Amino acid sequence: MATVNGYQGNTPVAAPTTATAPKQPVNTLKTVDTQSVLKRLQSELMALMMSGDSGISAFPEEDNIFCWKGTIQGSKDTVFEGTEYRLSLSFPNDYPFKPPKVKFETGCFHPNVDIYGNICLDILQDKWSSAYDVRTILLSIQSLLGEPNISSPLNSQAAQLWSNQEEYRKMVEKLYKPPSA
Amino acid sequence: MVSDSITHNAPIASAPNSRDFSKKKRTNRSAKLKQCKLDVRREQWLSQVGAVKSKCCKEDQNGARKESARSLENLKPRDEDNSNDSGSMHHDSDSESPSNSPTNSLLCGNGGTNPGTNFIGSSSSSSSVSGSSGGGCCSGSITEEEEEDGCLDDWEAVADALAADDDNNKQEPEHDRSCSQSPSESQLSVKSDSLHELANGLSLDSVKSMPDGARMVPSVSENNRRAWRPDDAFRPQSLPNLAKQRSFPAADRHFGQGGVPWACNNVLAAPSSCPICYEDLDYTDSSFLPCLCGFRLCLFCHKRILEEDGRCPGCRKPYEHDQVESEAIVQGGSMTFRLARSCSMIARS
Repeated sequence: MATVNGYQGNTPVAAPTTATAPKQPVNTLKTVDTQSVLKRLQSELMALMMSGDSGISAFPEEDNIFCWKGTIQGSKDTVFEGTEYRLSLSFPNDYPFKPPKVKFETGCFHPNVDIYGNICLDILQDKWSSAYDVRTILLSIQSLLGEPNISSPLNSQAAQLWSNQEEYRKMVEKLYKPPSA
Repeated sequence: MVSDSITHNAPIASAPNSRDFSKKKRTNRSAKLKQCKLDVRREQWLSQVGAVKSKCCKEDQNGARKESARSLENLKPRDEDNSNDSGSMHHDSDSESPSNSPTNSLLCGNGGTNPGTNFIGSSSSSSSVSGSSGGGCCSGSITEEEEEDGCLDDWEAVADALAADDDNNKQEPEHDRSCSQSPSESQLSVKSDSLHELANGLSLDSVKSMPDGARMVPSVSENNRRAWRPDDAFRPQSLPNLAKQRSFPAADRHFGQGGVPWACNNVLAAPSSCPICYEDLDYTDSSFLPCLCGFRLCLFCHKRILEEDGRCPGCRKPYEHDQVESEAIVQGGSMTFRLARSCSMIARS
């Protein structure tokens, strides 16, 4: 529930849909649908843990496999090198036919991430495909860090500063707060 | 008694390998391949042992592991002396020909209690039956290969055969080879057989001295999966790492075909499960090619996508809905229509 509240507090617009997603599996009967989502998420978790990708990780929250916490490390040779960001992923009941809601929980100074942690990434919206999974999402976000889309910024200050990588790096370091635990 | 016989015999088994390495000048590559072969072979028989749950047998194995590990380090020079002994031992027990009975675990249990007697005179003839004889055959062919230069092909054949053994208990190429073994070769393999014995606590007998490998072939136990763990304290240092072995593309390929568990499943062209729901694809599903891009998925997920945005998850292009429907009507039901449909879609591109 803490997560749900957090969503509502931070992003009123996204809150209704976001809030329902984690609730539903608890409240509704275990339909065939839910079962298949469970299977998919469990398989993804297995695959993610076996894949051994460096710089990304994700794991479900304690009691709810529809809510995951992920971490992304800034790629080498980008201004985000050496930083690590925590994200939350919440999966709708019709996942993977609908994308999960992904947010930064660690503040991220990035042109396509707003102050609430919302991410502007096409594959999380209209370019979503059910063939994507947690791993590809996290990898996409990781690469988004180093290659922002300046033309449609959520954080215009970051977008303006992007051209000056040295200053940008200083800004990232100044604003960076490592995720706690 | 038990540990005595083990220590006595261990060097026989382990030393020839290292001797072979030093003896024959080989390229790095073939040496590596040999390491792999040996590793595969060890895995096989050791895991036969591992499958056995009887306690006494297990303890004996541990002893054997320890001893063979030690012997690898310390006792190599002795192999010349011992090789003859082991050869004769096995010829002695030749009369108790293995009958390929699938009673490995039982026999292993028996042998585990008194491996010493087995080694000496194969007094308990019942336990000198199958068990590791399949492994014996494999080792025979492997040691034979060490005499040859075309290492890669033969080794692949062996890997294939080992893998095939797991599933089908059939391996043709090995029969011929073990038939054509020269005396020295068969001695080599006898020696390596004695390691089998150690591992299994079985009297391995005869296996190698018999010319017809056919009889010993099919008896590799079905759950010969693991042997040494990489972190096993008693793992002989001369064994190559599995990681190394995996890095051989050929190994991956062959084991993949053979269905050995650490093989990479991705090699297969068609996915075995739906990438959307992760359920297994049945025959209908796997012959279902709904999109030109080649992205496959199960019929349920396809239907669901058609109900929603109707775009292929692989390429994001809309499924060619109408075409599919019309052809379904024309061609009628079942498999033929599915195949025909996918073919025709390809043709139209």
